[in-house]
Amino acid sequence: MIEFFQNSIDTFNNTHHIIQLCILLTLLLIAAIIFSLLYLKNLRDRLKIKGRIESTYQKKYASDLIEYLYSADGENINPEQQKKVDYLTKCAQNPLKRKIIIKTFLKLRNEISGETADAIQNLYYQTELIKSASAKLKGKKWDAIARAIKELTQFEIKETHDEIILLINHPKKEVRNEIQKYLVKLFRFDGLEFLDVLESQLSEWDQIQLLEILNKFDNPHIPNLGKWLASENKSVVSFAIKLAKLYNQFNVKDDIINLFEHHDPEIRIQAISVVSHLGIYEAVSILKNNLFNRNLDEQIAFFKMMEDMSTPDEMDFIREFVNHENFYIRISAMKILNLITVDTDNTFRININDTELIIDNVLTKAS
Amino acid sequence: MSLNLPSQLIQIFDFLFIGFAIAAIGSYIILAIISAIETINYMKKNSFVNYSEILSSSIAPSISIIAPAYNETLNIVENVRSLLSNHYANYDVIIINDGSKDDTLEKLIEAYDLVKVDYLINNQIPTKPLRKGVFKSTNPAFDKLIVVDKENGGKADALNFGLNISTQRYTACIDVDCLLQEDALQKMIKPFLEATDTQVIAAGGVIRIANSCIIKDGKLLEINLPKKRIVRAQILEYLRAFLLGRMAWSKLNGLLVISGAFGLFEKKIALEIGGYDTKTVGEDMEIIVRMRRHMEEKKIKYRVAYIPDPLCWTEAPDNYKIFISQRNRWTRGTIETLRKHRKVGFNPKYHSLGMLSYPYWLIFERLAPIIEVLGLFYFLFLIVTNNVNWEYAIFFIIIAYLFTVLFSIITIITEELTYHQYRKKGMGMQLIKTAFSEPILHHPFVLYAALKGNFDYYFNKSIKWGEMTRKGMTNN
Repeated sequence: MIEFFQNSIDTFNNTHHIIQLCILLTLLLIAAIIFSLLYLKNLRDRLKIKGRIESTYQKKYASDLIEYLYSADGENINPEQQKKVDYLTKCAQNPLKRKIIIKTFLKLRNEISGETADAIQNLYYQTELIKSASAKLKGKKWDAIARAIKELTQFEIKETHDEIILLINHPKKEVRNEIQKYLVKLFRFDGLEFLDVLESQLSEWDQIQLLEILNKFDNPHIPNLGKWLASENKSVVSFAIKLAKLYNQFNVKDDIINLFEHHDPEIRIQAISVVSHLGIYEAVSILKNNLFNRNLDEQIAFFKMMEDMSTPDEMDFIREFVNHENFYIRISAMKILNLITVDTDNTFRININDTELIIDNVLTKAS
Repeated sequence: MSLNLPSQLIQIFDFLFIGFAIAAIGSYIILAIISAIETINYMKKNSFVNYSEILSSSIAPSISIIAPAYNETLNIVENVRSLLSNHYANYDVIIINDGSKDDTLEKLIEAYDLVKVDYLINNQIPTKPLRKGVFKSTNPAFDKLIVVDKENGGKADALNFGLNISTQRYTACIDVDCLLQEDALQKMIKPFLEATDTQVIAAGGVIRIANSCIIKDGKLLEINLPKKRIVRAQILEYLRAFLLGRMAWSKLNGLLVISGAFGLFEKKIALEIGGYDTKTVGEDMEIIVRMRRHMEEKKIKYRVAYIPDPLCWTEAPDNYKIFISQRNRWTRGTIETLRKHRKVGFNPKYHSLGMLSYPYWLIFERLAPIIEVLGLFYFLFLIVTNNVNWEYAIFFIIIAYLFTVLFSIITIITEELTYHQYRKKGMGMQLIKTAFSEPILHHPFVLYAALKGNFDYYFNKSIKWGEMTRKGMTNN
């Protein structure tokens, strides 16, 4: 065997350098394939086991938690409970077990309410899980910070507010988003204070998320939107317009009218679109006066708005647009003049017999 | 026979072919590394996303799903039901019956209580005219459904009709027989809504192969690996392309293609460029290149996004006749698109599109099969003329084979680390076996299809779309 290896090494040494390179490369690839296969086998096994381990621990911690909750006999913690607290605190030192404990706590907390839910929140303090989450806020890893904020939100920990708001302009949008959700979920409309100091843009995705969270609260106390409608941050203005529309803030009429001259065309369109909802009738003449200086999308938004806002005085003005080259302006003009009725499904009816010519000429219909 | 070729000439050819192989391998490795990093980042970021918060939102942007159908009588009712069961709040489904010769329309009318309606259509893109008209359901449960019956004009023409009729801001163009994951629209719309300083013009997701999977009522219940080698090989090909390729191109903002099976577009841009090109068989690639070109020429900051989540499941060809026909069409589509937009290639005015994506597609997608065949002929020529250095040749073949196998195994590992979809016992081993057999048993067919595509493109212009015989994915 030794002789065979010796001969192989001699042969290798006597071959051309390129062949030597090829042999080495081949051996390297074979080794990489073997290593990858072993890793793959191990990985698949681990993934299978991981699920089982998680499920076992989850059951164990759920039973510990229930024992803790039902062994309570007064306001103070009894020795039996203390034993559970110590055990869970010790387990939480291990990152995987900590994750499972948090998951178990949250699962049970979402299923129950009242005193028992409060007891779980107390346990979150007693097991010092809150300390490790708060400590992560000072860390450097963005995902650890975001995860910590998410956890604090889920356990409704309000006292970390001051620490968290300092991170509102964090360079990672995931962290910023978790902070926004923390503030709005825990402090409702008061949590929107972050809009005053937000330097980055609030994406449409973030805005929808926040509005959906706010939508779940009854008796909304809407803060004054004026300062946000005048914000330098375009996304804050956009968000404030949405708030004004959703919560019928009729007191912001002047701010909306000011936005017709905003430097960003999307904001101008959004402002025009909200006019009919808030019933800002004085806006109609303002927009009409400089309609032709506005871009096509603004003009379309104007006519869409006019579908709800036009009065008989404007019929002559509207009639001029029945043959407009733009489809949407044309349809809006015809709807306003009541030549056609378009339902929400975009199916339509012709309302006046003598308009057949107009329909054929300017409107494509599917029938 | 021994022929003394000038050694310098042989050396030049040797260097050319070896140089190409090294460049190809190098590019695969670089793309794989970028993809892996990006996928890990995506998974990390995505772990904070709660899609259910967007699900029910009435202010979530509206989307039209446009699905052309041609002779789909076998599965159309189930397929439409699957499209209608999406969890997104604000969407409609537009089925374009593109002049089917069978009873596709009648099946839909019966199943969904459809009646003919007058419908406003903005004919911004010229298309073939309507045949029987536009239909909507009298049943409120199907109020999201619009069915259009038009004269046959091909897939691109049908999609253009969908763009004309859609009144929503975004359009998802899909193959009607594809199975969409229930959360596919939320995931696809996210990049559009997240962008604050760039405009996202299109987004694509991962397509996975559904052959042998268990599907019931439009839902994927169980993932299985098919028994047929040809389908397994395609599973591996798709995994390689989507997991270790497209994510990197997305990071480099160089995506040139979004699968025609499922892609989401900003409708306004799609209309501005005139919709799909009806003269090409590669309309899915062509529209992306044209949209990108349009944005570059308008000097607007833009991005084509890519979602690595498996969002759409499709039926892959399970015999080589259909497989070759499909790949033949892909090849012709690539050639047509690259030729049509040759002005973009190597043109710094088009930034990464001109200097990175186009050259890559030209060299490693368009020319690769031709270079591979030339290499084979060159090798045969060297054998015949007794000019082969067998030591080099054998090592070259072994190294190429081992690299391909290693690359496939890394793909399987990536799949396990990310989505872990093939989790049943024995599936790992079956995929590994495929990784070893695919370069020898499957690749020759891929090469043949690509060559045939080249031949048909230049010498057989009459060929358009091949027929895809559907077995049907439902209730397997």
